Amino acid sequence: MSPAYLLRRLLAVVLVLWIVTIAVFAITMILPGNAAVMILGEYATPDQVAAMEERLGLNRPAAVQYLEWLFNLLQGDLGMSLRLSLPVSEVVGSAFANSALLAVTALLSVTVVAVPLGMIAALKRGTKADLGISLMAYVGTAMPEFVTATLLLVIFAAPGNPLLPAGGFIPPGESVAGFFNHVILPAGALGLILTAHIARQVRSEMSDVLASDYIRAARLKGLRERRVLRGHALPNSLAPAVAVISLDIGYLLGGIIVVEEIFAWPGLGRLLILALENRDLPVIQAITLLLAMVYALSNLLSDLVIAAIDPRVRYE
Amino acid sequence: MMAAQDNNASEGPVLDIRNYTLDYGTPHGPPVQVLRNVSLSIRPGRTMGLVGESGSGKTSLAWAIMRYLPGNAIERSGEIALLGEDLRTKSLEEVQDLRGRRISMVFQDPGTSLNPVLRLGDQVAEVLARHRGLTPKEAREESEAWLARTGISRPADMMHRYPHEASGGEKQRVVIATAFACNPEIIVFDEPTTALDIITARQILDLFDDLHDETGVTALYISHDLGLVSRVAQDVAMIDSGEIVEWGTCEEVFVRPRHDYTRQLLSAVPHPDRRIVASAPEAESDLLSLSGINVRYGDKKSILGFLEPKREVVQGARDVSFGVRPGEILGIVGESGSGKSTIAKALAGLQDFKGTVEFDSRTFSSRRQIDRDYRRSVQIVFQHPDASLNPRQTIGKILSRPLKLYDQVPRSELSQRVRKLLRSVLLPEEYAVRYPHELSGGEKQRVAIARAFAAEPQVVICDEITSSLDVSVQAAVARLLVELQQQTGTACLFITHDLNLVRQLAHRIAVMLDGDLVDLFETPQASASGRHPYTKQLLDAVPVPVKAEEPARTA
Repeated sequence: MSPAYLLRRLLAVVLVLWIVTIAVFAITMILPGNAAVMILGEYATPDQVAAMEERLGLNRPAAVQYLEWLFNLLQGDLGMSLRLSLPVSEVVGSAFANSALLAVTALLSVTVVAVPLGMIAALKRGTKADLGISLMAYVGTAMPEFVTATLLLVIFAAPGNPLLPAGGFIPPGESVAGFFNHVILPAGALGLILTAHIARQVRSEMSDVLASDYIRAARLKGLRERRVLRGHALPNSLAPAVAVISLDIGYLLGGIIVVEEIFAWPGLGRLLILALENRDLPVIQAITLLLAMVYALSNLLSDLVIAAIDPRVRYE
Repeated sequence: MMAAQDNNASEGPVLDIRNYTLDYGTPHGPPVQVLRNVSLSIRPGRTMGLVGESGSGKTSLAWAIMRYLPGNAIERSGEIALLGEDLRTKSLEEVQDLRGRRISMVFQDPGTSLNPVLRLGDQVAEVLARHRGLTPKEAREESEAWLARTGISRPADMMHRYPHEASGGEKQRVVIATAFACNPEIIVFDEPTTALDIITARQILDLFDDLHDETGVTALYISHDLGLVSRVAQDVAMIDSGEIVEWGTCEEVFVRPRHDYTRQLLSAVPHPDRRIVASAPEAESDLLSLSGINVRYGDKKSILGFLEPKREVVQGARDVSFGVRPGEILGIVGESGSGKSTIAKALAGLQDFKGTVEFDSRTFSSRRQIDRDYRRSVQIVFQHPDASLNPRQTIGKILSRPLKLYDQVPRSELSQRVRKLLRSVLLPEEYAVRYPHELSGGEKQRVAIARAFAAEPQVVICDEITSSLDVSVQAAVARLLVELQQQTGTACLFITHDLNLVRQLAHRIAVMLDGDLVDLFETPQASASGRHPYTKQLLDAVPVPVKAEEPARTA
């Protein structure tokens, strides 16, 4: 991979994020009830609103407001949260860290479970193991995380005899065991549908690989089955698996908002819902931008990983 | 080597197949018989060609020999013996031990039979490590030596390359090196040159000859190409619908065929001496002429071009000029990527071009100027009828499209004209209500030809229209095209890579190389002196089939 390629891809990320800033800003402009009304409350007089708009600069042309916002953004100044009266970067920063903990835990466990499951299903094609895994994958893909979350709560956190806490968060720095205790249910709710999806995709990729001419050629060279699978099939099915996982990151970012709310996980999702309820525009803008950035960068990362795995993929 | 061969000669056949019958089970209904009572034996050091058309069972026989049958295979009877040991009695473990060591295989398409993510050197070395217990270092050294023996010019460099970094010919050399690496007793070659270009195929054949002489290996050479088999093999077996209908030495089978099927195939094989066209009508001027046609691929840039890598610009056609005379068949030959299809697409108005096309005293200097009238007069038939016939339309509908589009006949006579078109390509009229998937490959291609002729064009472009067909079907389609062309007086641009076929039916032949038109001559002048060196090279590369003494049918 050439440095020129990396530069081009980073440029593309910047371009995407710039388009997102316009979209985010436009949407917050269109939303009914501006920040002045939100701060003053519904009983404010028109004079008070006008004065507040003057003070916040909301009466200036949209383009000027956008440029000012963008300029501040580039300097790392995301503004003040209207609701919490704290700098947005502070509010969003800690929530982002908490969300990242949940997302990474979910994604890692999904990968560790789903990829081998898909491979086993492909290897044992047509057997009971394949049938079981495929059936589970079908059911799993049909269950959105709010259903899974409710089910998990009923089963593992029933009020009488809770095996696991129904919600909340303990930072791993405070207690690792406590963190894992609290992360299992939300990560499970997030991960089940992804596990199902990734397992299905990996199964079909692996099936294609196993049916390929080069696997037949490897067998006809007299190689033992273990060597055929490890040396020939596995390296070919890794890159597609990475591609599927990276596509699912987009889904994960959406799912996390629902799951955090259900399990009272103090992350970005929960903060976003709070901000939406309170029309906390600077926070909404910051979170939306952050999610877009995570998605764009994770896509870039997965392309780089694929290039490292598959010699045919050479980015120039 | 000769000594080894002589020693073996007394020992009996290397591979001996007796009364072998194989069925494939089907989920619903009775099993399908694939091989019926097949008996075949190959003596040491000989190469036996196994010739048959698609579906004849030749590849199934290869899988049976390699003990690589699908799960639904049912072996009814018979034995497959390697030096007297019946392979059918071997366990999977014993078979794994045999494969690649005593019996190995060279596959049709080196592009798919090499693992894309492993280095070429490792793919050769792993056989040596597996079967001869060499250390990784020894295996690599020995692999490099084998790559050198297969004529790879920089073997050390090739060891480190991945398949996509090697050419088709180089890849096939790697596959061949792998097959020979453990000095097996027999090697099965499954159409090893079919996926390669003409000249590369010739080089691989030469390599096969050299290695065969050096090692004295016994070989089974599967192919559909009689000309090729007569060049590489000493013995040949003809297989038809799962039965070996005839086998013997090449001279016996090809020169004095005993079985009808052999005769039929032999007469279907295109042979340059067996012309199937009348001479071209005298023409005072060109019907269609191209001058300075240029086509470049990869030029276009989008607004977000700065985000895309620099694409390599490929010159599909470079200053190509020639004329097509009324009523003639002009053959265009060349290897893949030579620009022959580019010219077809540009002439059919499917590809942007620079330069001018003159037709019917009108001049077109870009694709946009090509209008409906031109499109009606210049029709195209594509290589794959499966891709060019809409699977959701009946044959009748497919054939009536051009009739309606160009107002060829009044609506009331549509179905009558469709039936006439079907008759003209020797298909039953009832086919009008069928769908493409209900037809065989040859029948589909006839429909595609009928569609092109429906518009009563003055020029028909045939882009590799027989390449995906079996030999006998190919012969019938070629003959049909020539008949139609002569009846209607339509000029025809016949694009192909089959030199024997083109010499059989074209009046003139144009040769393309890397986007350039390098040669253009009257067909009888093909072997005249003064031909372009590339033309000579192409002609030399193609084995001309042996001619039977008494072909059952004459063309």
